[in-house]
Order: sequence, then C-alpha cells, then structure tokens
Amino acid sequence: MAAAVSNEERLFSLVLALLATETGLTKADILSSVQGYRQRYRANGGNASLERQFERDKEDIRDLGVPLESIELPADQGAVQYTRYRIPKGEYDLPADVTFTPQEIALLDLAALAWREGSLSGESRRALLKLRSLGIESEEPLIGFAPRLRARDAAFDPLQQAIERRRVVAFGYLKPGEDRVRRRRVAPLALVQFGGRWHVHGTDLGARDRRTFLLSRITGPVEETAETFEAPPGEPAEEARAGLRAVFAANRALLELTPDTDAAARLGSRGEPAGEGVVAVHFTDLALLADEVAAFGPEVLVREPPELVDAVRARLAAAAAAHGGGTGG
Amino acid sequence: MRVQDRLAFLLALVPYLLDNDGVPVAQAAAHFGVPEQRIRDAVELIAMSGVPGETKAYQPNDLFDIDWDRLEQRDEIAITHQVAIDDSPRFSAREAAALIAGLQYVAALPANADRETVARLTAKLTRAANGAPAAVAVEGGADTRLGLVREAVAAGTVLVFDYLNGRDEREERTVEPLRVESVDESWYLRAWDRTRRALRTFRLDRMRDVRTLDGAAPERPEDIELPERIFQPSKQDRSVTIEVAEAVVPLLADYLGDRPQTQPARRGWVRTRLRIAHLHGLKRLVAGRGGQVVVVEPEDARDAVRDWAAAGLARYGSDTI
Repeated sequence: MAAAVSNEERLFSLVLALLATETGLTKADILSSVQGYRQRYRANGGNASLERQFERDKEDIRDLGVPLESIELPADQGAVQYTRYRIPKGEYDLPADVTFTPQEIALLDLAALAWREGSLSGESRRALLKLRSLGIESEEPLIGFAPRLRARDAAFDPLQQAIERRRVVAFGYLKPGEDRVRRRRVAPLALVQFGGRWHVHGTDLGARDRRTFLLSRITGPVEETAETFEAPPGEPAEEARAGLRAVFAANRALLELTPDTDAAARLGSRGEPAGEGVVAVHFTDLALLADEVAAFGPEVLVREPPELVDAVRARLAAAAAAHGGGTGG
Repeated sequence: MRVQDRLAFLLALVPYLLDNDGVPVAQAAAHFGVPEQRIRDAVELIAMSGVPGETKAYQPNDLFDIDWDRLEQRDEIAITHQVAIDDSPRFSAREAAALIAGLQYVAALPANADRETVARLTAKLTRAANGAPAAVAVEGGADTRLGLVREAVAAGTVLVFDYLNGRDEREERTVEPLRVESVDESWYLRAWDRTRRALRTFRLDRMRDVRTLDGAAPERPEDIELPERIFQPSKQDRSVTIEVAEAVVPLLADYLGDRPQTQPARRGWVRTRLRIAHLHGLKRLVAGRGGQVVVVEPEDARDAVRDWAAAGLARYGSDTI
C-alpha cells in the first residue's frame, strides 16, 4: 500500500487538477484520479467519507480566494454526479496589470503586519504570502515600528462575512441607559474603527434608516439570516466614517484636570486647552467617555455637558457602593 | 500551521520560483521570511506533484520537475518542468479587506503615505481580489510625539523625557529606544532604560519634554531581545479576586487574557482572578466600570477602589448616592 498522502499534498493536487481542466471534472473523476483521493477510492461505491472530505476541501480552497466553480450541466440539472468542477485560470491568476512598487510593498507589509492577532490575522498572513509571491523586494524594511490593529469583538467575524455575502443579520443590542437588550435586524454595509473601537454601519430594517452600532454593545451571537439585500450606491465605509467624524466634532466636553496626574497626561494629550487646567475633549459616545473619565477618579472634574457629569457621578457612586462605600457603607 | 496556510504557501511559492529561476534556497527563505527547511520541504512536495493527465496516472510529464543536481550541489532551485500554475493567485475578498483596513491604519501615521497612495492601493487590491472586499475603514489616531520617537528608533538615538509612571510619579528617564508599537489608539515605546538597566515599556501619552541626547553611544547589552508581548507578568505582581458582570468580561480581555478562567458567581456574574502590578492601575480599571467589576479580596484592594471612587464623587460636592 502506498504511503499516506498528506492533507497539504491532496489539496495542492486538487487545485492543480482543477486548474488544468478546461471542461471541468466530475466528482467521480476527482475522487478516482486525483492524488490523495484516488488512493482511498473504491470503484464499486461506498465513498461517503471521501465525498465528505471533498466537500471540506472545496470550502478550504474557496476560503483562500481560489475561484473554484461548480458547473451544472443543463441536461442533467440537479443530478449531483454530473456537476463539474474547475478553477478558471483567468479568474485565478492575479491580473497581469496589477503590480506594486517596492515602496508600495513596504507599506502593504506594514498594513498586513498590523493584524498580528485575532480576526484577520490569518487573512493578512496569507495576503502577505501572495505579495511575496510576486518577488518584489520591499523598500527598506521599517525597523522598530510595529503598529497593531485589533478586532477582539466576537461580532467582528460574522459581521464581516455577512457584509461580503450581503446577508441581513440579527443581533441583540444594549444601549447605554437601557436595561433591556433590543433585537435589531440590520443589512450590514461596513465596519469602521473610530476612536479605537469597532462600529458596524448598515440599514436598520426596524428603523428603516442607516444606523451605526458599537460592536462592544452587541450581546450574544450575530445571526446571519437567509435574507439578502442589494448594495446601495455610494461608499458606505466613507459615509459611516464621515458620520462619526461629524458626531465627534459636535460633541465636546470640558474637563478640569488635576496637574501632574495620569488624567492630565492622557486626557490632556487628546484635548485642546480651554482655560486654566481645563481641556476640551471631543467624543463620539457619551457613555464610553464617562467610563474613561470615571476611571480617573478625583483627577478629573467634568464641567460640561451636564449629562456627562451625571453619567460620571453615577459610575463613581456605583463603584463606591459596590465596595462598601456610600450611604451606610 | 493550518493546512490552508500550507496550501497558500505552495501556491505562492511556485510562481516565485518560476520567476526567479535558480534562486538560492537561502534567498527564497529570506524573501518569504521562513526557515530554509520549510522551502526545501515545499520544493520537494512541488516536485512530486502535478495533474492526473490524460492517462489519469500522473505520468512524469504530468508532474513538476526540478534540477535535483543543482539543488543538491549548489542549493539552488530551478523548476525544469511546470504544470497548471504560472501566476500568483488573486487575493480573497477577506485578504484584500484586511490589507485595505491595515493600510488605512498605517497611512494615518506620520510620514507613511498620503491619501492618494492609499486610494491607489485600495483600487489595486480591490481589482486583485476575487470578490468584493467587505468595506472596512479605520480612522487612525497618531500621537504628537510619534514622529520624534519613531525617528529616534530608526536612528538609534538616545531619548530623554519626563515620564509619569503608573504610580503617578514623574521622573526623568534616559532610554535607548528599540521599538514603537501600538495597540489600536494607544502608542508605546519599548526601550532599554539606562537607569533601571532593564527593558521598559512607556506610553507615549505619558511622556513630556521629549528630547534627544545626541552622540550618546548605546550602553545596553548586545544580546538583548525584546519579548513579543508588550506587557510581561512580573514575579512581584499581586493576585486579586474580582467579580465581573458577564457582559463586561470580553471588555477586560487585556487584563484577563483571551480565555480567562472563571467560576460562576451570583446570577449574571462570574468570579475570576486578576494579576496586577500595583493598586493604582486596579482602582482606575474598576472605577471606570461603574460597579460592573467588583473587587472581592484582598481587603486593601477593596479599600483602595472605594476610596478612589469616593474621592472622585466628593469632587462633585457629594459623597452619598
């Protein structure tokens, strides 16, 4: 008996076989002739586990961005054994006119390396391989510079997939100040990181309007529904970003910072001076700023807006009470 | 490594080898940033692989072939017969989206790229992808000190600055900068601290009066290596027991790790342990969570949080709820 064929060799052989065929191969052709399958193929049937293997392999290959097609032959509509599979070369190959300069490669290297952990790190690693494949040497590598982007929210991956597939999603969303999670049905259009936090922008089918949601406020799983939607015209990511910028510019808090404290160093770096010991800080979300300000305890006194004063006081009071402080504590 | 990554590597390596006939193994390994053995293993697999061919029997003419003598004698790779593949593969939609988002993030940093470059590259990546990439945008935030600190890292210049540490103590630090790192919007300098004679991590937004010490020669040991993780646990760290509202657990990933060990507590809450360097960081972390994170023990940690929150509240002229 021949030595076992590795998964890597089987997948590679499948890609080669499907690239080499013009007319496509049937599942029976593949299982009986392609390296890694043929060794386990039984001519008189009983290939169920091998067929399942092929289904998984197809998914793995498509996941890499390889355009693995299934062609249903008109005469045999619906009969699975007559489906033919192939990878059209014209859609597999990187278009010949897409080239990158060494400076562009250096920038893309940095862009790929920014995703070193969590969501999209696998994709970036593989994108980097494909860039390397072009054989272009990067301009002077950027030594000692390691920017890092993260997407830790569990909702990130399912939302990105739904955006790609244009599927409506449903999720629970907890707005600050509300004690009940509300169910939202959204046609997701773009993911936007703003102020270090991920947002999803889309059409809220309940409100029948565009909305931007914070991923950190999504509770429970994001469910992809069977419902699809048409892509609206325009650039949703840019529109969402412009929307967040406008909110950011319109919201302004005045904070009095105790000199020589962590709050003065950090919030001071971010705001503009607005009087003796006071800085003006812009924000997109009052509740998030209140979390941040409350953390600095006595180092910050909120002057404006009154809603922020209330939110910070409520947090401090709750924290004190939970640790035995406050009335009767 | 996952099998998909291995497949992606093979599909990337073949066109590179075809374009770089006779490339030395060491050069290919350096180009892809992998060990030489990885290249050798992949080349061996490629040379055995091919298409079923007309006979469906993988005849020699249906397989890749390489110049084996040249590989053995000169450690150079030359493909002498190719099948099926000649070009680099396209990006998947997700791969393109990852690059585009990363690009927007790094482009927002000083001296990296202008909007035009980003737009041009985004268009290229979109065209080079199989399927429309999901729209992902990143609004980056740069620190005003970033330019200067980054230049110092690149030039190997010694930096001097006033630093406010996590215990609210300000002092002058003299460091040999090694790497600038960020995590989303926060920027860090990792450096050799000349006074402490040790590696330290500094937040850029806690630095003041950053200046260079020109002409200073490095003093750090030559064999020093930066650990991959920014924050290293220390033997002096203390352990604190906390209870956390379940919804808040993912937001504490920086402190608890990606898979924290938790036990159920009262309904909707879990109990877990946190390692901290000092109470100054803990009281901030807990106060910012408005009662959704509660320190159970030790007692002095509970007191520190209560006093901190109460002092904050007192600034608004009240100490009761």
